[in-house]
Amino acid sequence: MRRAALILLNDVRRHLKAPAVILIFIAIPLAMTALIGIIFAPKTEGSKLPPIPVLIVDNDKGLASKLLVSSFDVDQMKEMFQATVTEEADGRARMSKGKASAMVVIPKGFTLDLLEAKPVTLLVVKNPAEQFLPDIVEEFMATMAVMLSGVVQAFAEEVRGVRAMIDLPVGAMPWESLAPELGKAQKKIAAASKYLDPLLLRLKEEETQAAGARPRITASHLFSEILPGMAVMFLLFIVQTLMRDLLTDREDGKLRRMATTPLRPLELIGARLAGGWFMGLAVLLVMAGVGALAFRVRVGPLGLYLLLAAVISFWTAAFFALFHALVRNRNQAGALGAPIILAFSIFGGSMINVEAMPKAFRAIGIVTPNRWYIDGAALVREGRFPAASLVVLLVSGLVLLALAVPALRRRTTE
Amino acid sequence: MGRIRRILHVAANDLRIMVGDKIFFFWTLAFPILFIVIFGLLFKADANTPDVAEITVVNLDEGRWGAYFIGQIEAPGLAVTVTDKEPAEYNRLIVLPADFSARIEARRDQALAFKKRSGASASAAARVETRLMQAIARTISELVLYGEGDLAKFLDARPGFRDIVRVKSEFPANTVTVVPSGFDHTIPGTTIQFIMMMVLIYGGISVMEDRKKGVLARMLFSPLSTGELFRAKLLGRWGLGLLQAIMLFVVGKIFFGLKLGNVPLALLVIAVFALAMAALSVFIGSIVTKEDLIIGLSVLLANIFAALGGCWWPNEIVPPAVRAVARISPAYWAMDALHQLTFFQGGFADIVVQVGVLAALAAALAAVAGRAFRVRE
Repeated sequence: MRRAALILLNDVRRHLKAPAVILIFIAIPLAMTALIGIIFAPKTEGSKLPPIPVLIVDNDKGLASKLLVSSFDVDQMKEMFQATVTEEADGRARMSKGKASAMVVIPKGFTLDLLEAKPVTLLVVKNPAEQFLPDIVEEFMATMAVMLSGVVQAFAEEVRGVRAMIDLPVGAMPWESLAPELGKAQKKIAAASKYLDPLLLRLKEEETQAAGARPRITASHLFSEILPGMAVMFLLFIVQTLMRDLLTDREDGKLRRMATTPLRPLELIGARLAGGWFMGLAVLLVMAGVGALAFRVRVGPLGLYLLLAAVISFWTAAFFALFHALVRNRNQAGALGAPIILAFSIFGGSMINVEAMPKAFRAIGIVTPNRWYIDGAALVREGRFPAASLVVLLVSGLVLLALAVPALRRRTTE
Repeated sequence: MGRIRRILHVAANDLRIMVGDKIFFFWTLAFPILFIVIFGLLFKADANTPDVAEITVVNLDEGRWGAYFIGQIEAPGLAVTVTDKEPAEYNRLIVLPADFSARIEARRDQALAFKKRSGASASAAARVETRLMQAIARTISELVLYGEGDLAKFLDARPGFRDIVRVKSEFPANTVTVVPSGFDHTIPGTTIQFIMMMVLIYGGISVMEDRKKGVLARMLFSPLSTGELFRAKLLGRWGLGLLQAIMLFVVGKIFFGLKLGNVPLALLVIAVFALAMAALSVFIGSIVTKEDLIIGLSVLLANIFAALGGCWWPNEIVPPAVRAVARISPAYWAMDALHQLTFFQGGFADIVVQVGVLAALAAALAAVAGRAFRVRE
């Protein structure tokens, strides 16, 4: 036992003397968490996307087109859109180089056609290189179109009166006849205001705990959700690197030299396994600590988190013990190890949110440690006991260990 | 043997050794294809299939306005499910309360609970939300049109609503004619990311191992000079990047219908980008002495460059500050140039700045790598 502890201490000291590799593998998940969190964290309530650059071409320059253009200038719209009014030729040149998400073209005669209640078409030119923002502009314009259609129909009579006068010279306009039209319009505006202030129907996005729904996430939530997936992926890389000693000792002849000492193979195997386990646990704790300090990551109750971290580290150490017992040399270990880790990570939810995955991929994810750790970490964050994750990881880890130890003993005494 | 032939000979030999590695095709072809399939399907499902925009309406209304409002919501591309109690699972849900009709008929305002499941498609949620806003706008417009009359009789004699203003959308002239697929977006991004990863890892490790094992020093016994040896190593790694890109583009074309625009220009972009990465790999291989450290550094750099450069997600959703920082990533310039070619049918004049930046970067990195290149430990 003492001999095993000495080897373990020596291993830890050796790895800490040249920590660059471990530090880099700790830095990668933290850097990725930071980057994803910064990009996707909601900045303000209701504003998750940067302002959408929109070009507006007003070929009409009439009253209605000016009203439409000015709708982009309302405070709420300014947060959403970065509108630039331009000429059509310039707009088309800019769109052909992808300099805006979309261009809205208001056709010539727009105002007069509306006054005559004739159908009019607004053109939205979309940036083909963008996947989301042009659709938002298109949908916004569709909503504006519905509203404009409603206004034109609601004030159809008054609008017709105004239209009849537009072509007359100013001096010939029957100003006095406008009074009844304006009176009617005033009544309609008063009637409409009953529906518009406050809005008769509006949507209230609820932060609900109902089954199937989750509350709106904050930046801290986002970091807390991303980090476990990244952490477990790089835990696998780090433990694989640390436990490669099982191979290199054999290849470099160190094992034969150690065999001349009173050291028993089981003690050596135990020390290496414990080394991988403890170092893995330490790495997870460092990641969680840095995450908590830098990104306000929440891990939940410390006791539960430590338990889950200890179990996933144990699983990882047992898995790579078996892996290194089965591979022939370090080249093979290098060639097979990383693909296995990446496959675990893709299907297990470290790279893509499990909920966004196709069903078939989700089913494969069940056989990966990443999935169980990520699910367990989510429960621990909510203060719940991750029973299923602990049982699955512990039982499968023990099975791996039971397979690894005899295989490693055989390889050690070969 | 002429100088150029000697350089080409060593470069081709390096390439042959790298390609001969059993796991080479997994890393350069199989794994990127897995990435392409997964992310391509994700983007496809999210952006181009309108039938996935589902909305569940919990209609508790005791009057007739609930059904009327549901009719206003219904539209092509929207799957509306009506139920009378809140289901356990849903993507988006709106509740029409029991007094929905009563409040409308009394002209009293109300807020409708709209719940979104956080993991569900954001673009489908946006589409549904917009449709709900349109339904509200349409309902209010009809109420205004109806005037002061008794709203209990509205549904029996409601005024017709005409869509006088319509919206038509199109892509800019001389660009794409069909909506780009998820694969058109993911294949260039994945190719750029894996060129970085593979050239840096394979290229860096092989330079380091050749130096440590004395292979580089032994090669100097041949007529090769140190400078020629450096150029050969650079060329070998450049060939690796180029070969990987060609394989992925060919697979993308055959299996996913990838549209690259002007193919020779796309290859030019990849060639200049791969040269920059080759120079970086020789530099890393020259200054680092541990394989694991090269892998770690390469993964770190490749992931950061890929994320910043728009290989993982569309740059349009990135905050302006991050987009400005992204210009330090070589992947940003390569992706921008490929977008110009793929989506805007651009020519050389449209990518000259991006190619110029990448060429300057390749020259600078090659100069630095040349100075750092060592044949002995």
